[in-house]
Amino acid sequence: MWKYFHLLRAVVRFHDYNPQRVSMSSVARWMKQFKSKGDLRLACSLLEKVIYFSETETKRILHRQNEALIEDLQKAGLPTKKLIYLQTDDAGSSSPTMLGILRNSAGLEQRGCKLLDGRDAMGITAETRKREQGAIIYIDDFVGSGQQFERARNFAQQSVVGTFSEFLLVPSICEEGYTKLTKMGVTVYSGHIHSKAERPLHDHSHLMTGNDRAKLTALCKEIRKNSALGYENMATMVVIYRNAPNSIPAVLRGSDKQEPFYGLFPRFKDLPIKKL
Amino acid sequence: MPTLNPTHRAVPSVVPAGELRVLTVDEIKASANNPRLLFDPPQLIELKKNIAEHGVLVPITVFQPKGQSQFSILDGERRFRCVVDLTNENHVGKDGKPIRIPANIVEPPSLIAGMLYMFSIHNFRASWELMPTALSLKIVMEELGVTDNAALNKLTGLSEPQIGRCKTLLEFPERFQKLSLDPDPKTRVPSNFWIEALPVIDLAVDKIANVGALGRDGATDKLVGKYRDNKIKSVIHFRRIMESYDLAEGNPAQEAKVIRRVEQFFLNPALETRAAFDEFVVEKKRVQSAIGACEGFISQLKKFKLAHTSDEDERKSLSEALRQVRDYCNSLEQALIGSDDPEVTH
Repeated sequence: MWKYFHLLRAVVRFHDYNPQRVSMSSVARWMKQFKSKGDLRLACSLLEKVIYFSETETKRILHRQNEALIEDLQKAGLPTKKLIYLQTDDAGSSSPTMLGILRNSAGLEQRGCKLLDGRDAMGITAETRKREQGAIIYIDDFVGSGQQFERARNFAQQSVVGTFSEFLLVPSICEEGYTKLTKMGVTVYSGHIHSKAERPLHDHSHLMTGNDRAKLTALCKEIRKNSALGYENMATMVVIYRNAPNSIPAVLRGSDKQEPFYGLFPRFKDLPIKKL
Repeated sequence: MPTLNPTHRAVPSVVPAGELRVLTVDEIKASANNPRLLFDPPQLIELKKNIAEHGVLVPITVFQPKGQSQFSILDGERRFRCVVDLTNENHVGKDGKPIRIPANIVEPPSLIAGMLYMFSIHNFRASWELMPTALSLKIVMEELGVTDNAALNKLTGLSEPQIGRCKTLLEFPERFQKLSLDPDPKTRVPSNFWIEALPVIDLAVDKIANVGALGRDGATDKLVGKYRDNKIKSVIHFRRIMESYDLAEGNPAQEAKVIRRVEQFFLNPALETRAAFDEFVVEKKRVQSAIGACEGFISQLKKFKLAHTSDEDERKSLSEALRQVRDYCNSLEQALIGSDDPEVTH
């Protein structure tokens, strides 16, 4: 009975996961892979701890945080025409997608904000020079360790002229990334700070007993030997509707090409190439 | 603050907000530039030791950008960096509390004042791509109307040869400059590519009708294509082309041969630089002779025992002669600088 409860709950909760549909059959297929009932129970309890951001939720958070930020900046004397929104990644990846969402929902361009690619060094120089002071607002859907963000931000910063405060709009950020960004002087506007305590497979979490954690970790190692608990062993539990971060445990993500272990939240690049 | 020619607009200086505060490291924002590359470690260690013993005695200068809770540093990055290190090492001040930093709060600097500060930071930096520096220099030149290398040197702290190299980069159209601003180091064209390529482009466009017909941009495109295809394995190899041409000077047949090869080099995408020009360059012998000449020159001068020359006129003449030698040596040394790596600034 409990199996069906988890199955149905997963289908309802994760119905709009983009890379691979979470359906009755996909959840059933994922569940069937566990060798014992005990393993399945553990995996299901891990699944319960997934913090899922649906498309609606992601948009709602982004929009709200953005409005709060704009309000704060206006109070500080920065009108919207002084704001530059930067995407920090390639077209098609999360940052430009989030910026695209916000551009439409918040009418950024109509309000006089400038939208730029963080790799467009000349554009950044020209626009910051024109404004002399203002705010640079980076956008993404999730920040883990903050290292990738730091690289992109440092690259963009070398082209900034004038005095600009820096902000990051993000639906969810890990506490590691939050600490890093705060040290860098980037103020984070986020709907959720993902603490280590929220991650059952993280060493600093007590959501599972040590024994259960060891069992699940061993299972993850069987699936992905080198990144069992995700990037830098972060074992994060946040999944965004458009793609899971590379820091989630392997039991949720599955194997590369989804063989031999089929994951519930594969990243786009984990999927086998479909034959046309 | 550097002074300017009176005909130029004055450099805007920072405006104090009239407040001296004592700040914790959390209240201050680090520079966006990688601090590990910013400063000379031995100097930093010495400063750190001093701060550990006495605290920060000279206030740093900070401002608060609108909307930002932390203060940004305008002067005192090194002191701040040392305190951050000491705090991370759990070092406390004499009062048993975390070390705090006295700071003069000033108004946010103008565009130019901020840029000049940026230059002062970059001059400490061990490794810095030249193209972003060149673009910043362009803004300084445009905003202040200063183009003279000596004045720019005073303003920015960049050496005159560095300024010259930046100006060379700015001669290329934006679409080429952008290639050196690619965030991916694997596909980025190093800034030195343009500096080394420029004389070759000038030569080819000027002397070869078929290359001239492509125009400067067309000729540049050919070289970029060759670089991308690994037919120019190192930007330093451009020097072989110019060397081949210089060595053929005074020998019309050889000069014509080199020019024909330069034409082939531009028009044949498969022709690699060294394969094309090595035959014209007998580098080792010349360089060895030059090294021998340097050694001989120094040893001869030593023999003359000139340190106690007393005659006023003779001393002046000797100084002038030595200055000429030094200027030539400096210019030669500058010309020899160049690599595929990011430009090294001092």
